[in-house]
Parts: sequence; structure tokens; C-alpha cells
Amino acid sequence: MKLLLTIAWRNLLRHRGKSLVIGAILFTGAFLMTLGNGVVSGMARGLEKNVIDGFMGDLVIISDAQKSDNVLLNMMGSNIEPITDYKLIRPVLAASPHVQRWLPAGKNMAMLLDENTDAPGFAYLLGVDFAEYRRMFPGNFSVIEGSYPAPGERALLIPTFAREEFYNYYNIWYLPEGGALVKENLKKEALEHLDSLALSTSVVMMGMSGGMNTTSDIRFPVRGIARYGALNQIFGHFCLVDIESYRECLGYFTSADMAAQVTEEEKRLLSLEGGDLDALFGGEELSAGAAPAAAPRAALTERSAPADPADGVYNLVFVRLRPGAAYKPALRDLNAALAAAGARVRAVTWNAASGPIGSMALIIKSALFIFVTLLFSVAVIIIVNTLTMAALERASEIGMMRAVGAQKPFIAGMFLGETAVLSALFGGAGILAGALAVELIPLLEISTKNDMLQLLYGGDIFRPALDVYGVALAALQLAGVTLAAALYPMKVSAAITPLEAVSRD
Amino acid sequence: MNIIEIKDLRKDYPLGATIVPALRGVDLAVEEGEFMSVIGPSGSGKTTLLNIIGCIDHATAGSVKIAGSEITALDDRAVTDIRLHRIGFIFQTFNLIPVLDVLENIEFPLLLMKRPAAEARRRAEKLAEEVGLSSYVRHRPAELSGGQRQRVAIARALVTAPAIVLADEPTANLDSVTGASILELMREMNAVEKTTFVFSTHDAGVLRYARRIVRIKDGLIEKEPVAA
Repeated sequence: MKLLLTIAWRNLLRHRGKSLVIGAILFTGAFLMTLGNGVVSGMARGLEKNVIDGFMGDLVIISDAQKSDNVLLNMMGSNIEPITDYKLIRPVLAASPHVQRWLPAGKNMAMLLDENTDAPGFAYLLGVDFAEYRRMFPGNFSVIEGSYPAPGERALLIPTFAREEFYNYYNIWYLPEGGALVKENLKKEALEHLDSLALSTSVVMMGMSGGMNTTSDIRFPVRGIARYGALNQIFGHFCLVDIESYRECLGYFTSADMAAQVTEEEKRLLSLEGGDLDALFGGEELSAGAAPAAAPRAALTERSAPADPADGVYNLVFVRLRPGAAYKPALRDLNAALAAAGARVRAVTWNAASGPIGSMALIIKSALFIFVTLLFSVAVIIIVNTLTMAALERASEIGMMRAVGAQKPFIAGMFLGETAVLSALFGGAGILAGALAVELIPLLEISTKNDMLQLLYGGDIFRPALDVYGVALAALQLAGVTLAAALYPMKVSAAITPLEAVSRD
Repeated sequence: MNIIEIKDLRKDYPLGATIVPALRGVDLAVEEGEFMSVIGPSGSGKTTLLNIIGCIDHATAGSVKIAGSEITALDDRAVTDIRLHRIGFIFQTFNLIPVLDVLENIEFPLLLMKRPAAEARRRAEKLAEEVGLSSYVRHRPAELSGGQRQRVAIARALVTAPAIVLADEPTANLDSVTGASILELMREMNAVEKTTFVFSTHDAGVLRYARRIVRIKDGLIEKEPVAA
């Protein structure tokens, strides 16, 4: 081995030019691979932290009727199915040893309406209990204008990103009720047209449930303008609204509806169907007054028991697991318990629920892998070519070695040794440089407001991170390249016969 | 005792559709410790004969025994092993490993035999001294003259104490004075190490060093003249 490495090392020094070319390729490949692993790893970590801690939790419970697990950023018009039996879910979550806390929420799209234009804008609505939301995702949402709604208050919180989008739709700049215009927060275009800027403190929205239920136009008073702690460009599409207003907007049963006490007479009338309706209009009931089924919501609620928000309809339940809880058993146990409780729902991981965002790490990792594979393929071709030429140029020397007793594996090992020494030196330096770059980049505090870059960064700031796995992966790939590059030259060199030592004379 | 026994050795080279016979049925026996020269004009078959004896080329037909072992039917690994343990080579163009110094070149076959490094180094130093290169042990081939390189090659050929040393035109690339000194050295090593030397040449001036001369022409051994 020592003899092999000695010859390999000295041959590399003897052919410095070739060694430097191959070394530079190996260095670049290893550097990019390591840096890429760091970027992907940082992105995955950042996404995981920001999405789990700030928006979705570890698991999301969705209706069994929901076809796709992706419930975060689904395409226009595809609604999230309602969950009508949250009261069955709640005790299951409370009893689960895996679950730390949870938050039921409504989530769907709404059309943004304005009397001055026919073209509607769109927004995602997240209907929550504000206090519960803050407990579930502490610190992820800071109000920069106005204030958090009081408990039970019907109000809307608009993220800064959504406010700018709304401005793009209608040229209206939304302010919290009682709030003043804060010029520093104005969008650049709005600032340039300050004189003609229209201001508003309420938003009219119409839910888009996509189902059979009838949605309503609701005028939401704007309580505050807020900013998500991370991924504001992405999560900033979601306006937070109190759950009862959300339900009304989407045409869902509110908790007040569910608490309504229907009299026996009203039940009888509600149960009339088909031909029996004739009896209703043909008899004396007609003179009894308006049908209770058509009674205004207020009339029903006047005869209601105290409303429990949990009675109403939700779309999702965000679940946070206890620290250290593994997803697989938690998911298995939770789904089994939910099924046993008769809840027509299923729990899915945050990756599945966040659709393309959850898969972003995998997609970018795949893209990076393909890029580096291409790079390494080119490297392999160049190295194979260079080493093969070197083998042929050294045919006389190799023939002599074979003549004096070197077996084929020794000759093959000599070429593998040369490639391995180059890989260890230049590839190793590439890995070190990549690791160093991964450590230094976060110090530069590179930030972005671009959606795609935020996904790539895994947050607002570019923070690549490298773990042992990433380094090991780069080293493994380098070893693979070394072997792949050395195989053909090894074969060529081992095929050189001792006759080459004399026949070239 | 015969260290080399050759019977009816034939070697054909295909040249397109034509077969060119290089050896047409050579019979030869070489005794242990001989200092023998194979002479003949270019293309006579002397190099082919040495290559087959040295296990670096295959016979088309016939029998070749080295120290009693038939070598014509052996596989590559086995003949490589014979080359390592039984045969030493001296090439016309020296064929040293350019990245190794004199001592490393000499000990190279011993390291292939996996002899302990210290033992290999001692043996290499002894041979370097015997061939008169003690002052050049750390020099690389590029830093040596042609004669010095061939001395290194001789030391390398002898380092494993082989049964036979084969030298193909060992003086062809050397001036006459250096060539003579190399042949003197080979004869001296033959006397000291008791190693059988077989060398080819087409230089009539070399003949006076040989104790036995075999003349080859058109692939056949003509006559064995008595050595001078």
C-alpha cells in the first residue's frame, strides 16, 4: 500500500498540469455538493421550523372527505372539506400521549368584493379563536398597526403581504379601525400616489366553499395589520378572522346555530317534505306566521343555549406533538383513536398538508442532485479520459512493472491510488471549503422578500446548515466519482502486457 | 542441471491474413550458471526467444521449462509469479520507474514480493554498492547517465536472486566503453551471484564476453559456436 501510494503521489507531482485540472474539477464538484447539501439541509430545517412552529404544527387533521392531503396552498376553487364532528376529535387529542396542544381552524378562500369594481380579488381566510391561535403559535404573528382583537370580538387581521395584494386589486389601502396611515408601511406605489390613495377600515368578503352550502358577503372590520415572523410572503396570503365570522362567510353552521333550540312544532315543519308541503300551505298553519325554518339567525339565537365554539364547523385541526415524539407512531395511534371515536377525519403530517411547500426540500434536493450528478458526470468523463491517456503514455513503464512481477491488481491499484489521492486532497479540500462556506454564509444575513427564495432559504434569511449526514453524503459521492473515474483507466492499465516494455523499444 | 529446456518451440505472428513465423522449432538447453549470448541479425527471432523464456510472450507451440516447470500452459497470474521469483530482466532502454530513486527502483521487485521493507532496503543497498552506485542511491533515473541507469536495471534484475537474468540488447543504447563495462559487470555478477545470464545482441564486439554463444537465424538456431 505504501509503495502504491508513493508511486501514485509522485506521479501526481510529476504530471502537475493534469493533476491540477482533475483536482480543480474534483474540488468544484465536492464544494458545490457540500454547499448544496448545506443549502438543502438549512432549507429543510428552516421550513420545518417555520412551518411547524409558526403555521401548521406537526400534524394536521382533515376531513375524510378531503381528497388531497394538501390543504395549505391549494389551487383556486378547490375547497377544504368541513369537519363537523370536532366534538369527537377534541377528547381524542386530549387523551393522546403524543399531543402537546392543538388548534381547530377554518381555512378556505374568499372573494374580496368592492362596490367600485366587478373584478374580485382573492384571499385565504384562516378562521380561529385569536387567543387560542396565539397560544398555539406564540410569537409568529406580530401586529404592526392596530391591535389584536379582544376575546370574542368579530374582526379581521390582515397580513402586510395581503394588504399589498389588496392594494394591487383595488388601489385601496386598508387600515385598522381608528388607526392612522403609517407612511413607513406604505407600499412604494401607494406612497407615490398618496394624494389619490383610497383608505378603508373594513373589507367585504364572500366565502368560496365550493360545496352545496350558501356563502355570505360579510363586512369585516379590520382590527390590525400584522406580519408573520417568517415566510411572510407565503403565509402572508392568510388573513386571520374570528371563527364565527369565518363560518358565516363560508355558510357553515356557527356554534350559535348549533346551540339553537328548535321547538317540536319547528321540528315538525322542518321535517315536511315533497307533497306534505301542500298540506302546509293548504291548512291553517299558513296563518300561523312565517315558517321558523326561514327565521332570521337572530331569532334563533335569541332562544339559544350558551354557544360553544367547538360545536360549529371547522376545516382543519393543527396539532403540535410533544417534544421528541416521533411522527410515525403518533400518526398511527392518533388515526386509530380518531377512527375508534367515530370521527370522520384523518391526521396527516405537515409535509403532506403543506403540499408543494412540504415537498420543496425534496424537490430542490432532487434538482441539486441532478445538477451535481451532471457536474460529476462531466468530471468523470474528463478524469477517465485524462487517466486513460496517462495509462497509455506510461505503457512502457507499466509493461516493465508487469515484466518484473507486478500482478494486474497492483497496476489497477496504482491508478486507483492516483485518483484516490487526488480525490482525498482536492475533493477533501472542496468539502472543507463547502463546509466553511456553509458556516460563513449565515453571518452575511442574506434576506429576501421573494416567495421562491424564501422557500429556498427555508425562511426570510438564508441560513444553510450542514450536519454529519450532509458531509458524509458529499464524501460518499466523491468516493463514488473516484471509483467511477478510475474504473476504466484501471482496466486499460491492467490490460497492458509485459510485452509493452520491449515492443516499444 | 538445465535451468532452461526448450523443445520444438514455435512462435507465429499474425499479420493481417498472413502468418509470420518468428520461431520455427527451436530446441535449446541452458545450464544453471551459464553466461550465454543469443546472437543474430535483426528479425532473426532472438528477442522473441528471450520474451518466451522470460514468460512475457506466449509460444504458439512447443515446450519451455524453467527450472523443471512447464510454463507454456500457465495462466497470467502464474507466469507473473514466475517472472517475479525466477527471472530478472534487463531491458534495452533500461525501463526504470521514473518517480522512484535508485534504491527504490532496485527494491521494487522485493516489495512486490511483500518482503519486509527493512530487508528489501538492505538488499537494495548491497546491490547498489555492487553495481557501483552507492553515491547515487537517492538519484532518480532522469538524473543518471545511460550506463548508470543500466547498472540500476542490473541491480534490480538481481535483487530477487532469480534463477535466470534475461537481457535484451543491454548495450544497444550505450556507447562502447559503457557497454563494455556493463557486460563486465554482468559477467562479474554471474560469477558472484551464480545467476544464469542469457542476453541477446547483434553486436559482434559483445561476443567476447559470452562463455557460450547461440546463433539464431530466420527463427532457427543454426549452430552453437564455442565461446571465446
